[in-house]
Amino acid sequence: MSKLTPYLLVAPLVAFIAIFTYVPIVSSVDLSFRSWNFMSPEMPFVGFSNYARLFAWDDFWDSLKVTTIFAVISVPIRLVLALAIASYLKRETLSSRVLRGAMFLPTITSTVSIAVVFSWVFSTDYGLANGLLTAMGLGKVPWLQDPSVTLLVLIFINTWKQLGYDVIIYIAGLQAVPQELYDAAAMDGGRRFQVFRRVTVPLIMPTTYFLLVISVIEAFQIFTIINVMTRGGPAGATDMLVHLLYRTGFVLFDIGTGSALAIILFVLLIGLALVKARALGAKVHYEA
Amino acid sequence: MKLRQNATTALALVAGLLFLSPVLYSIWMSFQTAQSYYRGGFEFSLGNYGTAVTKFNFARYLVNSIIVSGMVTLVGLAVSTTAAFAFARFDFKGRDLLFGITVATLMIPSHITLIPNYLTLARVGLLDTYAGLILPAISNGFAAFFLRQYIRGIPRALDEAAYMDGARPLQVLWRVIVPISRPAIFSMGLYIFLGEWNNYIWPLVAVGKEDLYTLQLGLARLYSVNPGEGLIDWPLVMAASTITILPVLFGFFLVERHLVRGITMGAVK
Amino acid sequence: MSRSLHISIAASFVALAASTIAAQAQTTVSFWHSFNNRAGEALEEIIANYEAANPDVDIQGEYVGNYNDIVARLQAAIPANRAPAAVILEVTRYGLFADGGVLVDLTPYFEADPLKDVLYDYAREIGVIGDKNYTVPFNSSTPILYYNKDIFARAGIEGEPDLGTFDEILKAAQTITETLGSEGITGIAAPGQFARWGLVMANGSDLIDSMTGEILLDDPKTIEAYEWMASLVDEHKVASADGVTEEDNGRDAFLAGKVGIMMNSTGNYVGAREALGDNLGVLPMPCNPDCSVPIGGAGIGILASAPQDVQDAAYDFVSYAASAEANAIWFAATGYLPINKNSAEQPVAAEALANQPGIDVAIKSLPYAHGRARTPVVTWMRTTEYDVWQAMALGQTPVEAAMTKFAEDTRAEEARISN
Repeated sequence: MSKLTPYLLVAPLVAFIAIFTYVPIVSSVDLSFRSWNFMSPEMPFVGFSNYARLFAWDDFWDSLKVTTIFAVISVPIRLVLALAIASYLKRETLSSRVLRGAMFLPTITSTVSIAVVFSWVFSTDYGLANGLLTAMGLGKVPWLQDPSVTLLVLIFINTWKQLGYDVIIYIAGLQAVPQELYDAAAMDGGRRFQVFRRVTVPLIMPTTYFLLVISVIEAFQIFTIINVMTRGGPAGATDMLVHLLYRTGFVLFDIGTGSALAIILFVLLIGLALVKARALGAKVHYEA
Repeated sequence: MKLRQNATTALALVAGLLFLSPVLYSIWMSFQTAQSYYRGGFEFSLGNYGTAVTKFNFARYLVNSIIVSGMVTLVGLAVSTTAAFAFARFDFKGRDLLFGITVATLMIPSHITLIPNYLTLARVGLLDTYAGLILPAISNGFAAFFLRQYIRGIPRALDEAAYMDGARPLQVLWRVIVPISRPAIFSMGLYIFLGEWNNYIWPLVAVGKEDLYTLQLGLARLYSVNPGEGLIDWPLVMAASTITILPVLFGFFLVERHLVRGITMGAVK
Repeated sequence: MSRSLHISIAASFVALAASTIAAQAQTTVSFWHSFNNRAGEALEEIIANYEAANPDVDIQGEYVGNYNDIVARLQAAIPANRAPAAVILEVTRYGLFADGGVLVDLTPYFEADPLKDVLYDYAREIGVIGDKNYTVPFNSSTPILYYNKDIFARAGIEGEPDLGTFDEILKAAQTITETLGSEGITGIAAPGQFARWGLVMANGSDLIDSMTGEILLDDPKTIEAYEWMASLVDEHKVASADGVTEEDNGRDAFLAGKVGIMMNSTGNYVGAREALGDNLGVLPMPCNPDCSVPIGGAGIGILASAPQDVQDAAYDFVSYAASAEANAIWFAATGYLPINKNSAEQPVAAEALANQPGIDVAIKSLPYAHGRARTPVVTWMRTTEYDVWQAMALGQTPVEAAMTKFAEDTRAEEARISN
């Protein structure tokens, strides 16, 4: 067996990764120091001025704010709902399998389809949501036109889509909790909620931590639903970071500032990913 | 007891249907005409599907999505399995570094590569081609990372027996490792396929030519150009949306268990 | 030399000649445009007529989206070398491309083309920056005021309404919203960007001075016009926010008979007429107090990246598209202005003028129609204006503060891109 064999075996994958992931990181850094609009033949070096522009740009701070608000509202809702549902669905009965399946479907369904369907659900005049409100004798809500409401609508849709995933992960975590612990707690005369609070919640902490971090990371990467439903509007209310990145690069064609934003996003997400790695470490530790 | 169980199952079914009602209703809506939709009646019609296919080219988009997701899955699995095999079974200089580089892609947000990958493919003339849609998506270390873990769980004695019989490394991979890892490879394949099927941002920037649109692009575009002057033709849009999700839903019912396993495995990502 | 050899040599010459002809027949002109539905069909007819007369040229028209989509896709196409040979460019947003050397200077073609003598000056002028001609006009327009006679009558407004000033328009919109709001009818569609620009001009100002290039976004009269427009949505609630987040929604609601008044391009005339029939009323834009409307629409530019023979073929098509024959088809099918002095004499145009009351409103407003600035920064300014407008109309930012900031940002961007 040649010494080269293992290198040849890993070469294709490593080549793909090098060309399409690592080289682009280096060129992003390079582009972030240049001024370019896709058209001019030169790309003059401008030092840190793109970063300065970015930090002086209201849209950037607004976008960071919107993204943070999205995460702060949506993540706890997802976790609480998912844990509650998972503790109910963790038994292997037919009904819980049916429900798990139903909840899981949106996770694998195309985000574009979901965005289109919910554009209809929340459209002002012919949508399902306002139809229900009208039937109950209430007024119509401009779901996608009112800046204070639209972000909440997106949070709702995203929660609906991702909840099934959180539930499945929680169920896996719950099933790993040794049954004796519950029995012991029950023997102590603990009531159901007490058992849940004193036994389940602490034991499931590593899973919670893991889900917490990945849903925050996810919030920082949301794009499709915004691009299809709101394009960042109304009035910038849903202009989250990746959408701003797309807009800066492929609508405003400010490649330098767009690349600077990509670098900032990169640093933020790598930070979060390192936290996630620690979470995984904690989980592995618990399982061992 | 039996009755009660049936009742809970029925209740669960209703709850599940309620949860999915927006999507189910959209499928229902796709079978009626726009006129009857706006009048508030119901007139069964397959016309929206006809329009989506003849006037808006959705059959082509479906084929494109299958080609792109299929190729990404096949090529991705091929390069990942061979790499995973090497990482799991060979001791070579730089292995840990290369493995680290591979695993680190799990942490790197793909969006940072958007502009540079666009420019790279622009320079080599691969925008507006299938290759341009497929190649960047292969650059993902997750499958290799996962399959390496799996392969490490396979007893080495099996490989060694094969080597004794004079097999070469690729033959060992193909005849010993792959058959045993089939469930893991299958789950990974589903995972990759689904991810690519639903991919949106890269096709959005990499494809301008309409005949290379994937379903996701075609649907987003159909919705944004608002067919029919005046009110949006929702039933037509929903027919297109149904074409976009149905293949995945069918797949889901066929292989639900595998899929759920793939996703839970994805959790260690 | 044997006879058969002669024959085979002759045959190969014929084959060679045939292949050259075949190669010539392959001249393909890719052409990006912004017209679908009815306008798209009219454009296809024009293309088909051209191809019938020029079998050696294949015009591959592609509907890309609206003017913004075209600008975005064109700019993205440049590093990728996938720009088309010809492209529709809106009259204020091609400066960026002309400046970047992306567009061919068509002056030499134009000087040699008899077309230049039969185009109206107002139309020819939109393609000129400095002393160079970058686009040939195709679809020219001004905004006009559409109203729904049936809605006006049901709201108790009899006869031809007075809609000549901002106050009169607001009053009519309020009457409609108050009387018919319960039926889901609103008074007016939130003005789209073209109409907004027109309303600023009607108020005696401009967004960017077309002569000097001075940025007038924070001019008191500009601010005043925007305050009035935003108040339609935010304060008076006579316009639905639907048309703010997606400007086509306003037009669609008007066509569906849900809105009383719409200010929009004359290019919507035929569509509106088909949707509303005799209920469609058409008036000139308000004079508040100035009678001044912007000339909009688009011309066709040719890309410097195309090979010379393709550029030549493209120009020939572009010239045909502005001919009286093609322009008459276009005018009659859409309501866009005639750009060719001979268009009106064509039977199809004469018939439209006779049978479609109001199609000539835009033509009559030409004496006070003006070209607009087309400096490179206009593209950025128009892209950004949508967000600024949303923030103002939805009550997120006070108009004066928003416009002051917008003016500053636009000046900064202009300084940045001119470096």
